[in-house]
Amino acid sequence: MVNLKELKKEAERILEEGKVKYIIGYERGTNGFWPTPAFIKNPEDVEKLIWDPTCVYNLTRFLVDEKRRKAKEKKPDERPVAIIVKGCDSRALIILLQEKFINREDVHVIGVSCENGGVLDEKKLARRVKGKKALKVEFGEKDKLIVTTEEGKTEIPAEEILAERCLECKANFPVIFDVFLGEKTKRQLDNPFHSLEKIESLSKEERWAFWKEQFDKCIRCYACRSVCPMCYCDECVVDTINFAVTADTPAEEKAQKIKWVEKSPVSSENFVYHLVRAIHLAGRCIDCGECERACPLDIPIRLLNKKLEKEAKELFDYEVGFDPDQPSLVSSFKDEDPEDFIK
Amino acid sequence: MEKTLLKRSFPQWVKKLSSYKILAPVRDGDFWNYEVIDDSNSVDLNYLNTVLSPKKIIFPQREVFLEFSSSNEEGLEIKEVLPDEKSSVIFGVRPCDAKALTLMDKVFGDDLEDPYFLERRNSTILVGLACNTPPSPNCFCLSVGGSTHSKEGLDILLTDLGDKYFVESLTKKGDELIKLAKGTFQEPKPKDKPDAKKIQTDSEKKLKRQIKEIKKVTSELKEMFDSPFWDEESMGCISCGICTYLCPTCHCFDINDEVTSSSPLKGKRVRNWDNCQFPDFTMHSSGHNPRPDKASRLRQRILHKFQYFVEKYQSYQCTGCGRCVSKCPVGIDIIEVVNKVKDYES
Amino acid sequence: MAEEFEPKIVAFLCKWCSSAGSDLAGVSRMEYPPNVVPITVMCSGSISPLYIFSAFNKGADGVLVSGCHPGDCHYIKGNFYARRRIALVKKLLEYIGFESKRFQMSWVSAAEGTKYTEVIKDFVKQLKPLGPQTQLRRNL
Repeated sequence: MVNLKELKKEAERILEEGKVKYIIGYERGTNGFWPTPAFIKNPEDVEKLIWDPTCVYNLTRFLVDEKRRKAKEKKPDERPVAIIVKGCDSRALIILLQEKFINREDVHVIGVSCENGGVLDEKKLARRVKGKKALKVEFGEKDKLIVTTEEGKTEIPAEEILAERCLECKANFPVIFDVFLGEKTKRQLDNPFHSLEKIESLSKEERWAFWKEQFDKCIRCYACRSVCPMCYCDECVVDTINFAVTADTPAEEKAQKIKWVEKSPVSSENFVYHLVRAIHLAGRCIDCGECERACPLDIPIRLLNKKLEKEAKELFDYEVGFDPDQPSLVSSFKDEDPEDFIK
Repeated sequence: MEKTLLKRSFPQWVKKLSSYKILAPVRDGDFWNYEVIDDSNSVDLNYLNTVLSPKKIIFPQREVFLEFSSSNEEGLEIKEVLPDEKSSVIFGVRPCDAKALTLMDKVFGDDLEDPYFLERRNSTILVGLACNTPPSPNCFCLSVGGSTHSKEGLDILLTDLGDKYFVESLTKKGDELIKLAKGTFQEPKPKDKPDAKKIQTDSEKKLKRQIKEIKKVTSELKEMFDSPFWDEESMGCISCGICTYLCPTCHCFDINDEVTSSSPLKGKRVRNWDNCQFPDFTMHSSGHNPRPDKASRLRQRILHKFQYFVEKYQSYQCTGCGRCVSKCPVGIDIIEVVNKVKDYES
Repeated sequence: MAEEFEPKIVAFLCKWCSSAGSDLAGVSRMEYPPNVVPITVMCSGSISPLYIFSAFNKGADGVLVSGCHPGDCHYIKGNFYARRRIALVKKLLEYIGFESKRFQMSWVSAAEGTKYTEVIKDFVKQLKPLGPQTQLRRNL
């Protein structure tokens, strides 16, 4: 069991010793049982930290903000930032380290093991409690979660309400850490890419119909991009008006900025945006599932990224997010890379 | 005009409205959204609230203003493209969403009239459904001058009495709609109106959230422009844009030329929704960005809704639908932020 | 009588091998279908998947990426990277139900003018029965 007291004690210690600037963790929010990201600067506030199955957010996203904030400061505080990470979050951290986006000494990693195998999926829970309002969700014994509704507590097998991605998780415990809380339990995975099976079994026409229906819903809010820790480009393909412009940039150059994708949320443009994003995340996406959770229209975005993760494994024997020293997927090659598709 | 309508007779009313385009909430997986209805039997008002508000129908996310083309001899030819769709009826509009449209009316129909918006607004009839219970745990319509049974912006208000609806027609357009299906409606029984009134007032008591002492907020905000309050509150924000796109009152837009051929020149000038939470929303062509960070963007959102709009139109630019709270991926809560504003000592 | 459909192919050709190969085909007066819009890039490894999606978005019926044979890249490793990236793009397009015959890759050296014409002839033959590409084409 992850001991919340231990977590708070460690948090208090590093703040009192002045070792870190602040701690990024989870605190209780005001939208039902959902948490909200906590940025704890003072040891007294450590009490606010929580850890339960509702802690689904991938907090490594805020390391990107921290880097940007630091870059703007004239005399930045050079101390590291502490962050609470689950297994998947720690793999996101590995990718950021692998790409040298952040340095190891800038982060103090408090790793928390996912007891009972993962975190909550709101929709699965809503369906399971059939209309009753869930007030609290806690870790139970072994593989059970305890859900409190207005009518009292019920124990539910974790598998029924865990997020889809958790059921395919390769690492329920952090793979990089300065402090480790909990036990290293690992799930036996017969098929780590199980969620892709349904789409892969469809015919070409059915697959197109499926994805077209999904992307027709897209309103290009870019929440999928904003919530992803790996989408840290200062200038995204879809926002190419952001080119750095100075007083000397001639009008012709400004007028010729390439617009890859029109702003209108029509099918073709939505597809190009999502396809480009999926390819840019090939070998970098660690399936934290945040893109899909954030999408207000329930588009199963992680299934695009998951497919490329599977191909990376099957075609190139590439595992994403375990080794910070391995080269990136698309900037490396093996002599044995397949070329049967090349004429 | 007041009538009642048995729930099982509802499809008959819809059938009589075949000269209109009918829209209603349709279930899609775990949520609802408005869709065009072809089969009168499939209109089902058993829903909570839609993800995208009726704003999307009257103020579409993409709308063509004009088409332009040029051939060498004739120079540039421009053709205005006004909406010329069939009149529509939208069933199942919650009072907060209808009130939101009246707020948009002030922006698009006041000193400057937007013909595209007004054309659609005037040709759409809104049939509202009062909230017997608040559809969302984050509803707070009462705090911002609305209610679970507000009639603002609606042509007809339905109240669910169990096996039938209490039907209140509020405008001429509403009367027309009822006259088209006269036989399907009944005269209300003496109990019906008081029953409806009781349901309406009871539902107000069920609202779980509120902004306390909201009258103080506008003057507080005036003092807080440079406060570090915004840095603290926006730490968790990821500038995703969901709050603004889902908001029934937000209406910022971007106008672009979509050129499909450069020689001969051919293209369209379109209006798309834009989002003040996007980092490049205020990017100038010089490269300067007056709102480069999350703090300034969150401040803009709150000030626009609770100070600037109040100063200009004497109304909050928020109708308490709660979508931004429910769908924020990181739990940023506008009710919390505004409640904190009053107690903040800079 | 309806005009026969002529597919438009956008071909990204690396400057040192494939583009030179296509020049050789031209200089040698070899005949091959005129459906290709050639774009010379410095190296097949410099081709971003974005260009490929954008070509389809602008209306290409087929996209060809062609580079030096493995081991012959002017920049040593560029074509090896291209091999990996194009494999991923191909799998992604297949997965969304996009007609995979529309996207091809080839190795064509500077001396292989004939091979270039064969590749193009085959490609056009495969594309004609498929008709115009409407899936990713911008239609505003």
